[in-house]
Amino acid sequence: MADEAAADSLLDVERQEAALASDGDADLQAFREAVHSLPSDAVKDLMSAWVCSRCIFRLFGLTEPCSCPCLSPSVFTERLMPENLVGSLIDGGSSESEHSTSLPEPVVCSVCLGILQFYHNNDVQLLVSKDGMNDLAASIAELVKQEGHQTDSFSLEVSIPSITLDNERVIMSYMSRKYGSQLYSQERSFSECICLKNALKSLIKAPLETLLGVKYGQGPLHIRLTYSESSKTIEKSVEHKFGATSKRRKKGNENGLETVDGLMNSGIGCIATGVGHSVVTDTPVNGLQHHQSSDFSKLLLEKVRRPCSLSFHCNRDPIYFGGRYLKYSRNVSQTCWMIDEDRMGEASVEEIISSCILLMCRGDKYKFHAAGREDMDVRMLGSGRPFLVEIQNPRHVPSDVLVKDIEHKINSSREKLVRVKNLKLVGSQGWTLMREGEAEKQKQYAALVWISRPLEDPDLLSISSVRDMCILQRTPIRVLHRRSPLDREKIIHWLVFFFFQLRVIIERIKTCL
Amino acid sequence: MLQVPMTDQSAQQSSISTDSAAAQNNSSSTELKEVRKVDGDDEDKELHELLMPDVRNLPLAPPSAVESNFVAYFAPDFMKPGHDQYVYRHPNGLCVVGLAPTHVAFRDEGGVMGVDFNVGKSDRSAIKVTGKRKKNAQHFESNTMLCKVCTKSDSYVVRCCVKGSLLEVNERLIKQPDLLNSSADREGYIAIIMPKPADWLKVKATLLGLEEYKRLKEQC
Repeated sequence: MADEAAADSLLDVERQEAALASDGDADLQAFREAVHSLPSDAVKDLMSAWVCSRCIFRLFGLTEPCSCPCLSPSVFTERLMPENLVGSLIDGGSSESEHSTSLPEPVVCSVCLGILQFYHNNDVQLLVSKDGMNDLAASIAELVKQEGHQTDSFSLEVSIPSITLDNERVIMSYMSRKYGSQLYSQERSFSECICLKNALKSLIKAPLETLLGVKYGQGPLHIRLTYSESSKTIEKSVEHKFGATSKRRKKGNENGLETVDGLMNSGIGCIATGVGHSVVTDTPVNGLQHHQSSDFSKLLLEKVRRPCSLSFHCNRDPIYFGGRYLKYSRNVSQTCWMIDEDRMGEASVEEIISSCILLMCRGDKYKFHAAGREDMDVRMLGSGRPFLVEIQNPRHVPSDVLVKDIEHKINSSREKLVRVKNLKLVGSQGWTLMREGEAEKQKQYAALVWISRPLEDPDLLSISSVRDMCILQRTPIRVLHRRSPLDREKIIHWLVFFFFQLRVIIERIKTCL
Repeated sequence: MLQVPMTDQSAQQSSISTDSAAAQNNSSSTELKEVRKVDGDDEDKELHELLMPDVRNLPLAPPSAVESNFVAYFAPDFMKPGHDQYVYRHPNGLCVVGLAPTHVAFRDEGGVMGVDFNVGKSDRSAIKVTGKRKKNAQHFESNTMLCKVCTKSDSYVVRCCVKGSLLEVNERLIKQPDLLNSSADREGYIAIIMPKPADWLKVKATLLGLEEYKRLKEQC
């Protein structure tokens, strides 16, 4: 019976392989060749150290088999079985056991901690599936769909715990020392190792492209995968035996995205060991070299490694809306103005305009920028003040028609406090326009003036004949507390008056700078 | 104040300009092109209407900037009888110091003839305060001398009244001391001082408000 069962399982393997073969015959062929091209004793050594198949390939610098989608560890071991690895592996409870119906705990790679095997720890249970890669791609695609993002391209950002780099380094130096000369004779070296992040990206890229229907690139949509060490890994205190924390901290900035994890690792390390900071950074930097051979054996001995926890998020680049606003009310501030939880004024231009846009774009947050400011009790009339609204992580990029709708909606609100003109989507040129607007600064002011004596024609003539008059303005007391006391040059370009009553003139003054 | 409510007509005008803007982008029918030509005029008209105040609501004389922006405090008989000074405080904390209308200097014949800032240890008009942080500003006590005001017959010392940093003195008074006679409470101010919040609270307790000051001086 046992024989039959064994034969059956072998048959299953054959059938699976056949299925795989029909799926990716060429892939499998290339894979077989790749496996055979590797020095077998080195591979055997790595396998006995619980290094996963993808890591083995990438350590040797082989890209194609590494990115082969239908690469299950079992296929790997199948290939190598003829080389009599079976015995030691079965004893160690190898990943062959995946074939049986009851899945014992699969072995997590000692280098990548399950990242390239697509084993993730959800803090509740270990998520393992035969097709880990495609499952991950499916979950990511599901999230993107849920968020409702619109995009024509996506980019991937990966953040991995720095201990994987340490593991990699340890293995690499061990292998170089032990097999270096052998590899040299075969014209290979370990320097072609493919970095873990790139390997992961190239694996996940293709299925995501298919599922999302868009190309991989710099894309406005950014998908970030964050792998972090599960706290239980530290129990084996692999860290302070390596004494590599100080080195890890330096390495922490290798690929900008690791800093968070580096900090988290040391944080967790402190909690688990219950000792302060000093313990972890005790060992000098070159302690690593001394401990290498013993560490490697520790690696071999400590079979219990927990896979990482994974969280992924997607975020889209912000979009910008430009336009001009008019303010008709003398009780509306430009930005939301709060003093001690009380709102000053009735409303704010920022809120009126931005909240409407944010709603239509289904974004997370808005930022309002305007070319200059005006006081709350001053109206903004004429052509209007240029402004820019930045919407962060928009789910929906509105069409021109929708933008017109937004403008109309703001303008037709009941209170008629604020009006918007020429609202449209702008790219990065929006910022240059704002800067230009601020620099040029030709402004028109209107003022109601009381004159203390009746005006005659000569007076009116002298007013209207002003052209580019230079004046020196001393810093007003109103702003003297926060600005330098200086005399600033201003130019009055022209003065136009509306003669209202004998004693009242309305003047329109145009100034610059 | 001068708020002009938007009339229906101007509301209509503004919606027309929005439509014509849309027409420009879509480049459609001819009738909207005609509106576009008029658009600029419409804008001006709207602006004009908004700017024109309602005559019936206008006061004969507007409130002065000092009245609307500052809170007036008075220090009567500061250190010497008859030396009445004012302290106008702005909401941002800065204090403008000057001679109150009941100051003895104004009773002398001819009024104020000259102002000299070179008193005490330094010439107050020579100090240059720079920057947002107001470097080089001298810290003065409330009884520190600011300047001397001279009339035909006598000279009077003007003091800070408020403990704080001296930001600026009105150096126009050197060339035009008559400003004190014509508008001591406006263009004829003496100096601008920046007190610390704690120092202001202490001094505020010793100063009189406008009503109190008026009542006090009416009795004389």
